[in-house]
Amino acid sequence: MEGDQETEVYTLVARKPSFDLPTACPNCLPAYIYLKLAQLPFELAFNSTFPDSDELPYFESGTYVAYNNEDGGVIEKLKKDGIVNLDSQLQSLPEYLSLKALIVSWLEEALTYEIWVGTEGISTTKIYYSDLPWVISKVLFYKQTYLAKNRLGITKENAEQREKQIYKRASEAYEALSTRLGEQKFLFEDRPSSLDAFLLSHILFIIQALPVTSVLRCKLLEHSNLVRYAEKLKSEFLEASSSSPSPPLHSFPSSFPRKSSKPKSKPKVEKTEEEKKFKKRARFFLAAQFLAVVIYVSVMGGGSSEELEYEDEDD
Amino acid sequence: MANPAEKPDPIPSTPKLEPKDEREELEDINGEEEEEEEYEDEDDGKPRTREDAIADRIKAESLFRRMRETPVAVRVHDVIVKGNEKTKDHVIEAEVDVLRQATTLQELLKASNVANFNLKALDIFDAVKITLDSGPPELPGTTNVVIDVVESKSPFIGQVGTFTKAEAKSSSLEGSLKYKNIFGYGDIWDGSLAYGCDHSTEVGLGMSLPRFRGRPTPFTSRVYLSTQDWLKFSSYKERALGLSLGLIASKYHELAYNIAWRNLIDPSQTASRSIRRQLGHNLVSALKYTFKFDQRNSSLRPTRGYSFISTSQIGGLAPDSRTLRFLRQEIDLRYAVPLGFYRAALNFGVAGGITFPWGSEYKSKASCIPERFFLGGNISPVCSLGGPSALWGFKTRGLGPNEPRREVQDNESGDTYERDFVGGDVAVTAFADLSFDFPLKWFRDRGIHGHVFACAGNMAELSENKNRNFTASKFLQTFRSSVGAGIVVPTSLFRMELNYCHILKKQEHDRAKSGFFMTFSTSS
Repeated sequence: MEGDQETEVYTLVARKPSFDLPTACPNCLPAYIYLKLAQLPFELAFNSTFPDSDELPYFESGTYVAYNNEDGGVIEKLKKDGIVNLDSQLQSLPEYLSLKALIVSWLEEALTYEIWVGTEGISTTKIYYSDLPWVISKVLFYKQTYLAKNRLGITKENAEQREKQIYKRASEAYEALSTRLGEQKFLFEDRPSSLDAFLLSHILFIIQALPVTSVLRCKLLEHSNLVRYAEKLKSEFLEASSSSPSPPLHSFPSSFPRKSSKPKSKPKVEKTEEEKKFKKRARFFLAAQFLAVVIYVSVMGGGSSEELEYEDEDD
Repeated sequence: MANPAEKPDPIPSTPKLEPKDEREELEDINGEEEEEEEYEDEDDGKPRTREDAIADRIKAESLFRRMRETPVAVRVHDVIVKGNEKTKDHVIEAEVDVLRQATTLQELLKASNVANFNLKALDIFDAVKITLDSGPPELPGTTNVVIDVVESKSPFIGQVGTFTKAEAKSSSLEGSLKYKNIFGYGDIWDGSLAYGCDHSTEVGLGMSLPRFRGRPTPFTSRVYLSTQDWLKFSSYKERALGLSLGLIASKYHELAYNIAWRNLIDPSQTASRSIRRQLGHNLVSALKYTFKFDQRNSSLRPTRGYSFISTSQIGGLAPDSRTLRFLRQEIDLRYAVPLGFYRAALNFGVAGGITFPWGSEYKSKASCIPERFFLGGNISPVCSLGGPSALWGFKTRGLGPNEPRREVQDNESGDTYERDFVGGDVAVTAFADLSFDFPLKWFRDRGIHGHVFACAGNMAELSENKNRNFTASKFLQTFRSSVGAGIVVPTSLFRMELNYCHILKKQEHDRAKSGFFMTFSTSS
């Protein structure tokens, strides 16, 4: 950041990471993934004191700033200003617009509903309020819940009906996207687009940040090809530069049935990492033991080499 | 009735008191009880004969002689409070506690003076009268103190005034409505609305008590909602909802605690990088201690004396580690030397301040922008006691570390500044001011006088590891300075200066220009 004036250092300012995501905020993650898909080198900076701002995420380079509440969002602004455009030849396709409408409206609505109403905001503490004192975070949580309900048009009278509608639309959207995607790497042929960024962000957030009891999460897990798509892109683009590899996504749908009553998914992630470490260490330990035995026998044993080989075979 | 409390000197001018006391002394010896009647006689106002008057005068003179030679021993037996319907007795008695400690008549008269002043300072009485009556006849050498108070008939009072608040760094116009003594504890409730020259507004509700749980100093509390608009200078707006408690307020010391929810926003979305990083919500929980020693003869036109003020603030005093953690220290030293001709005086002043975050990784953390120092503005350095704040010739937040704002494609408003002043973690100012009266009587009568001045100041950033780039020589080289002369017009609300300033030295991007400027200051 200090070398701003000499070289054009790109910086994305987003909310803090959590749930093993580079940024836990569902509005910031698409921009992050978009820049990663475009393979544009950038720095990541965090703002953890403004949970109710619609300016985040913003992209800056010197005195150029692209805020999320201008020109249709950060990604659109980056495309328009020529910084990075993955959709240059796709925008004319009719499918592009319809898929975009599906992802940006139905899926986004479903995600907003699930975060603030469906799961009653369980995940919001870690996403938005980890660095704010309790009093402020409580007031802002009520404010943001109220605003989300307003945005979704939910009132006391139509709450149930609206919930059914949102989940139904989400299911249909997942079905359509799953069919469209098949076993392709990207949504459009073999090139990444901004829609891949939105979809990948949506899938990763739902699987990693929402609790296991989430209805939307269960609906998503029914489409295994979407999960595989997300896992592939995550390992190729998101973990290429990161130091600590995150666990594979496919362990989630196989370990937990649809209507599981187990409360937490996060300890499971840590446990698989620990298991891996433990297995590695166990292997080293066994190898060291084997080597010690070999050395001991060769130094102390002397002539009985047939017996040594027999013992080796036993091991 | 004699009211010795109104007279500053220990010997009261009314002779009526003396014959009574002398009679007390005589009765110590004689053991007769006549003073009650004497008291009532004087109350009735019966015309006395000439002989009585002469006798009284002789007795008074002899008492004066005795008082001058030796202390006249007397003890307070009882304090009687009259006239208070709403106000609780213990509230009044607490203010006049000093009377009980007096052992001689001289001390008692002085103490009565102090007690009268204390009661008037409660601001809930229209009139206060303290009378020394003779004590019960069986206890010689004692006196009863009778306190007559007249409570304010109209508990509502509206006030409009101008103030200079050190935090706002500019003068503000404040209107307040006070409701006095609702519960009889000397409590004063006020609602106020203040509007500052720098587009800051504050709405507040306050409550003050003269004593709280037996503590000797007044207790004040205030809930406020304030907004400060710094968009033009630093591209942010500050909103705060807070509670401030004045815990100790004595002549030299002041201790206050402030807890506030502060929100920095940028509606214009043109802020520079440092400001952008700090937008958001913060909880400020800070303790502020001020030591003030002001021996100058005036705060608006000091011609003699010196003053020293030191303000220390520590933020982050809460069990939650996510509150804003910072340390802030300011000092201000002034000295005024009279020169003897045309009421001329030379005023010197030096002020400095430093702020720093504390906690883990404090060196690489950025200090909070509202807690930083900003120099410049339309107030006069002579009047703004409390830390580095103003320099003649430099506009509000017009100097110091600055950063380029966000580039905007369509430059509709060509006259807006392109840089944000982000403030400094360390600031130093110094000034010298020679003030003198004009030879014409017309000016002298109205207090209009002239002055010639010079000032210098500088700021630097230390947080976010910028202290590595800080060197004393570089700091001294980049010092800004200006000189000038002007006319000072004191009005009832504020002190106005019309100055011509010449900028001697400024840095690139500073908002300062040689020319005519006006400043408005009130006594701080």
